[in-house]
Amino acid sequence: MKRRGWRYLFFTLAILAGFSAGLTYGWVINPVRHASINPVSLGMAYKTDFVLMTAELYDADGDLAMALVRLNFLGEMGPLTFVESAIEYAQTHHYAPPDLMLMQVLAGDIYQALPGKSN
Amino acid sequence: MLNDTQEIRPTPTPPDKRSPLYLLTGLIIGLLLGLIYAWVINPVIYENSAPASLDEGDKDIYRKTIAQVYAVTGNLERAASRLALLEDPDPILALGSQAQLALAAGNDSDARALALLASVLQSSSLYQPPTLENTDPPATTTEPQTPLVPTYTLPIPTSTP
Repeated sequence: MKRRGWRYLFFTLAILAGFSAGLTYGWVINPVRHASINPVSLGMAYKTDFVLMTAELYDADGDLAMALVRLNFLGEMGPLTFVESAIEYAQTHHYAPPDLMLMQVLAGDIYQALPGKSN
Repeated sequence: MLNDTQEIRPTPTPPDKRSPLYLLTGLIIGLLLGLIYAWVINPVIYENSAPASLDEGDKDIYRKTIAQVYAVTGNLERAASRLALLEDPDPILALGSQAQLALAAGNDSDARALALLASVLQSSSLYQPPTLENTDPPATTTEPQTPLVPTYTLPIPTSTP
């Protein structure tokens, strides 16, 4: 291989080495840290607790529309999905039966309120 | 006789004088590209974050919900543990200031719930007032400690100029 060819090869290898070093630094050593995060990124335990708070409030005021607004805090995925995930998490982690019951009531009422599910 | 032979001296190829600076250039280019990719194009996505990492607006919603739940359930222990998740430097102050903002915005029920939780928490044993950071531990002395009683140390204003 001509000298020029070797130079191109080493130049490419140097770029690859630098790229790898940049990735290691940017992903592992010093990843970008946002000053704040979105509620979507909350851990499942915290999401479940927020759903439980919503269920406690719904148990007190019976305002399903307000409960849906509160659940919207957790993201756009859909309130029923959040509540069902929270119930599953709560069952797995042995939440107190009254708390589970509150979330199940909320899930049932949300399900009933879905279009096409109302009696 | 004429010597037709000619000495052929091949000119030696000059050694490559160019420094390996191109390698450093390639390394820097690669490093920059890697950093741009890792920080801008495809940054690390955090999952399983705690409520303390939320921005102030979302923290306010979380705190308000805690206060509303306390107002209907009266479960102070649970409210205090939930508030602790927000890691406010002074939860009472955070609740109080948010209550004032809610009151100013006309959200009376929210303000009432926030103020109620603040006052109940303040009078309960679950609340620990914030302490100054980086203070040395108190030195142990044998002197009897005087009880903390309020004293009038402020200058008393007089009517004379």
